[in-house]
Amino acid sequence: MEALSYEFMQRSIIATTLVCAVAPLVGAFVVQRRQALIGDGVGHVAFAGVGLAFVTGTNPFVGALLLTLLAAYALFRMERRGRLGGDLALAMIFYGGIALGYLFTQRAGGGLNSVVGFLFGSPNNLTWGQVWAIAALCLGVLVVIVALYGPLVSIAFDEPAARVSGVPTDGLQLILTVVVALIVVGGMYALGILLVAGMMVIPVAASSQLSRSYRGTMLGGSLVGVGCALTGAIGAFYADVPTGSAIVLLAVGCYLAAAVLRAARQRYAVGSSRRAATV
Amino acid sequence: MDRRREDRQGGGCEPKRSDAPALCFEQVTFGYTRVPVLREVSLQVRGGEFVALVGPNGAGKTTMMRLGLGLLHASHGTVRLFGERVEDFEDWWRVGYVPQRAGSGAVLPVSVEEVVRTGLTGHLGLFRRPRPHHRERMEHVLDLMGVAGLRRQPINELSGGQQQRALIARALVTDPSLLVLDEPTTGVDADARHVLREALEHLVDVERVSVIYISHDPEGFEGLADRVLEVRAGHVTDLTRPQREETSEERLWRR
Ligand SMILES: Nc1ncnc2c1ncn2[C@@H]1O[C@H](COP(=O)(O)OP(=O)(O)OP(=O)(O)O)[C@@H](O)[C@H]1O
Ligand SMILES: [Mg+2]
Repeated sequence: MEALSYEFMQRSIIATTLVCAVAPLVGAFVVQRRQALIGDGVGHVAFAGVGLAFVTGTNPFVGALLLTLLAAYALFRMERRGRLGGDLALAMIFYGGIALGYLFTQRAGGGLNSVVGFLFGSPNNLTWGQVWAIAALCLGVLVVIVALYGPLVSIAFDEPAARVSGVPTDGLQLILTVVVALIVVGGMYALGILLVAGMMVIPVAASSQLSRSYRGTMLGGSLVGVGCALTGAIGAFYADVPTGSAIVLLAVGCYLAAAVLRAARQRYAVGSSRRAATV
Repeated sequence: MDRRREDRQGGGCEPKRSDAPALCFEQVTFGYTRVPVLREVSLQVRGGEFVALVGPNGAGKTTMMRLGLGLLHASHGTVRLFGERVEDFEDWWRVGYVPQRAGSGAVLPVSVEEVVRTGLTGHLGLFRRPRPHHRERMEHVLDLMGVAGLRRQPINELSGGQQQRALIARALVTDPSLLVLDEPTTGVDADARHVLREALEHLVDVERVSVIYISHDPEGFEGLADRVLEVRAGHVTDLTRPQREETSEERLWRR
């Protein structure tokens, strides 16, 4: 395939596929915890981090990582005080983040291009160094999720009961929020701050239509993510459209297809039981 | 001599006795705001005892159990689990809790088996996997609650009663000595209530579990409960205890 012969395409495909494989694994936990939009919120803060890096002339990767980790800790503290969930303090952090990000980037005289690149991703401009950094972040997140799978499921599903059964819920909550921050920063170059959160949630929504277990939903979400990343990245090359948009739109397509399939399956099940009843 | 005071002290709330009550409140006061929800509540639930907790909406039943399980902290007084102050308590596998709610709260598909397994995570610690005897126990509680045949079903596609039974199975999976059920029969039909009742009978009679059962529906605990406590206006009264006999002194005064 011609697309694969370009090195920039190789970098783009590797980075987007890694991010889209791991993001839904994290997403499954936040969706179950009814925090589907937390990734989006953390993304806003990452933008402030990028802006800060522009102003201070440091690496945007580092700036974003720093501020998102700080936001993760703040969110964790707010949640512990029972203030998360449609709360104004949350909105304060998020919108404050995006406003600050724009302010910083303008002050630094950052061109519109680089800002748009961070918001929507610029996978074709990745360096190998960035690809390795992304791979390391994704691997780290993967290790945490595999190692703490059981405890994370229990806090996602029923936190008070988990706490009573002796699960260290506070620590796990913090870890989960930190992991969200890591994946947002990991996906920042490849998919963009605004789109990476979508790949946490949409593949999970798609696989949940057809799955009957949590593990199935998570793994299915990851598969959907990989499928969308591969077809999206390569398809975008030939169709000459932005990679991030292509991937996220494909994921939305997967969700719609899965929802239709589910409805069809249910109708079939109802139909066959009705036939059985009339016999 | 003050008999009531003696009662309280002789009741064994002091720490680390082998026959310490499963749950003990000593003069517990708590409020979410400055207005207390519970005022100087004292209470004991002994091993193997079935206590029903009744009272109007908003009386503080759920609050009381959240205090008892260390999810909230009393502003005054002491809460003990198995003789240990709840703040220092560590053997959480000895406690099973089914929170008050309608249904399982699952957003994504989670199979019944997966739900029940989450009951083990605290006991196993962060990195250990379930062992054969854990699996056996899982089978046992799935059977006991009559949800073994539903193990691969996503819990959010089950009926309210089936969901509730799966959640009770989860609470039982560590073989606890104290089970706290907060309105387990809301949205549950007569058949499912029957299954639940039989399971509770088995737990109390055979497995000697202490049960605290919050409910508005006396049918669920009639004949099962050793005591019925009513929470009202911040106080707890024992509805089952016969009126205290008058002392001879009081009788004298009445004349
Ligand atoms: N998280 C909270 N923050 C502030 N006040 C609360 C909170 N939870 C409960 N309350 C208040 O505490 C009181 C007791 O509530 P609780 O949930 O314990 O009642 P309950 O007896 O369990 O009622 P129900 O029968 O409706 O379940 C109520 O007046 C309620 O408004
Ligand atoms: Mg209640």
